[in-house]
Amino acid sequence: MNDNTYDAIVVGTGVSGGWAAKELTEKGLKTLVLERGRDVRHGEYPTATTDPWQFEYGGRPTQQDLERQGVQARTGYTITQASKHWFVDDIDNPYTEIKRFDWMRGYHVGGRSLMWARQSYRLSQIDLEANAKDGHGVDWPIRYEDLAPWYDHVESFIGVSGQAEGLLQLPDGKFQRPMEMSCVETHLRQVLEEKFGRCLTIGRVANMTELLPHSPQRGTCQNRNQCIRGCPYGAYFSSNSSTLPAAEKTGNMTLRPNSIVHEVIFDEKSNRATGVRVIDAQTNQQLEFFGKIIFLCASTFGSTFIMMNSASGRFPNGFGNDSGELGCNIMDHHLAAGASADVEGFEDRYYHGRRPTGIYIPRFRNIGKDSRDYVRGFGYQGRATRLGWTDLLKEEALGAELKSRAAQPGAWHMSIGAFGEMLPYHQNRVTLDRTRRDKWGLPVLAFDAELQDNEYRMRKDMVSDAVEMLEAAGYKNVQARDEKIGVGLGIHEMGTARMGKDPKSSVLNAWNQVHACKNVFVTDGSCMASSGCVNPSLTYMALTARAANHAVEELKRLNL
Amino acid sequence: MNPHSTMDRRELLKRVAFLMGGAISGPAVLGVLQGCSAKKPSVEWTPAFLTAAQAAVVAEIAEIIIPRTDTPGAKDVGVPQFIDTMLKVTYPKKDQDRYLTGLTQFEERAQPAHGKPFMELEPAQQRELVRELHDAEIRAAGENELDDSRENRPFILMTKELTMLGFFTSEVGATQVLQYLAVPGTFRGCLPLSEAGNGKTWATEMSQAF
Repeated sequence: MNDNTYDAIVVGTGVSGGWAAKELTEKGLKTLVLERGRDVRHGEYPTATTDPWQFEYGGRPTQQDLERQGVQARTGYTITQASKHWFVDDIDNPYTEIKRFDWMRGYHVGGRSLMWARQSYRLSQIDLEANAKDGHGVDWPIRYEDLAPWYDHVESFIGVSGQAEGLLQLPDGKFQRPMEMSCVETHLRQVLEEKFGRCLTIGRVANMTELLPHSPQRGTCQNRNQCIRGCPYGAYFSSNSSTLPAAEKTGNMTLRPNSIVHEVIFDEKSNRATGVRVIDAQTNQQLEFFGKIIFLCASTFGSTFIMMNSASGRFPNGFGNDSGELGCNIMDHHLAAGASADVEGFEDRYYHGRRPTGIYIPRFRNIGKDSRDYVRGFGYQGRATRLGWTDLLKEEALGAELKSRAAQPGAWHMSIGAFGEMLPYHQNRVTLDRTRRDKWGLPVLAFDAELQDNEYRMRKDMVSDAVEMLEAAGYKNVQARDEKIGVGLGIHEMGTARMGKDPKSSVLNAWNQVHACKNVFVTDGSCMASSGCVNPSLTYMALTARAANHAVEELKRLNL
Repeated sequence: MNPHSTMDRRELLKRVAFLMGGAISGPAVLGVLQGCSAKKPSVEWTPAFLTAAQAAVVAEIAEIIIPRTDTPGAKDVGVPQFIDTMLKVTYPKKDQDRYLTGLTQFEERAQPAHGKPFMELEPAQQRELVRELHDAEIRAAGENELDDSRENRPFILMTKELTMLGFFTSEVGATQVLQYLAVPGTFRGCLPLSEAGNGKTWATEMSQAF
């Protein structure tokens, strides 16, 4: 034992790492939390209260910004003067694209929990049975009832506002008061209910509408919709505002930023992992830390990288990779398909405030008796707004007329875009590229993934169903949208260390333990055996809390 | 000629401002310079990307796009300086070149139409020239949606885009022409227009939609 020895080590501080830190420390474990990026304390959000006119360049990125963050800028909305500091420097953190792959990420305490879109949906029994029923991928080793109490646990702690709808394909949760819909959204909800029997509900979002007594440092949402900058009110869930303060309060957490974990130390005699190897990001110093259990929560590709880079005599193909599935089965949600339209008849109505969520149309394809020429399904996210001044660029308005028209709220506009489930394909994979090195001399990841026939068939429905619904509502000038995209832009990457029943075809067991090394738990998106079509972060949190509980029970039983 | 007349005008402006401890206002500097400067169109600030003469033309166009009315206009809130900075810092060379070429072509339209450079035309003639080119490009963009991206935007629409961006994200644009609330507090989804603040368009950061 020495100063570098703890009960538990958590790698990463995003949604999963924050939850692992909170659960393990609250259960009494002395826990070292390692984060590769810089420290960010709750409240240290430099642009959080900046007014539009205080940003340089109208908020746009400079050419210099784009030289450093050109890959991160592919989203079109992240590299701005308001939020560029939360995304990685692409020169220091390169990767190889055998096929185009958009890997969007931030290296700092809190990880992407600071910039996430906060949409919080449960997987359903339909999702967890899908692989078993249609034969794609491997069967999940758990079912909805295994996850449900942990969804309850997580939602109650983080605060999720939403509306219960009683749908099998989108289970209800422990919701705070839902946010209001606009007139047009309410209208479309009625149309979809009456004409299609489909649901349109307000987005379920991890923005508080009610106070949480257990998190006195957090306040309710002020409807600024500047969440991506960090919230000074702590109104949306982030590790920084929520789980890390809870972990810190126990006195059991040691948080070490600037700590790049690049290897799991495996002891062949005991068949256990004993710790991790770390490069200090600032000093380049090599360090080792030891613990009884290790939680890899470094993000899907972060954890996968660490495991691939941890080859040993016992694991020549990467730590825990007896199955050969490590790095395979990359999934994301495929998007940028849907429709938008102008809406007439609500010109005398407007809204107050900037709601930090849109609406959600839960999956309706391949549910019940519906059967398509593809498997699985998609849901839509969308929003009705009145157009603002930007749309006058393309109109023949100039001078005093331009000014006065800009001041009048424009036409109502309804837009919906689908998030489609992507199947797990063995050949969609990430590998180590040892011919290239990052700033710290570590090999980089190489991505080789693309959408397949099932996704392309689904995309036809994603577009035509959107058009059909907006037309059925009587909206005007309905425009279909179907952009050619690669994989990654959904920023829901998952699947590269999947859970499964059989060690021959999966990396993790039903408790997120590495099959061949039970004191290592992997609870970020890499564990996912299928992707569902809903935003996955809430599931990562529930799986992490469940795995942490199991880990502590197993420690008590002296099984780890 | 006075040797000063060959001195770079920008240098002169900077030097005078420096000598006078920066206490002097822009227009006053202009007054000081009237005596030793050739009668060339210019602006009372130092452009970083455009020449002073180019900046003067761009400033007039910006003011035509968003003029001073009962509220301040493009020049009042510094849009010309904003455009100059944006051109220098946020655009790649390809777009910078396209802009400068378009600016030259724009200036060349004035001569055959009226026999004078743009800056010497009557305000109504200037507005007419801007309007003609603007409407033609709007129609062309409408007919060619594939080529309607920011990457291909022609000079006059780039100027309109940057004028609108600079103006509506300025404090005056956001709070006097539009309405802005830093902290709305609540969200109400369906209010009578008259009860949604003052009923004007909410200023939100939509610059990325451009």
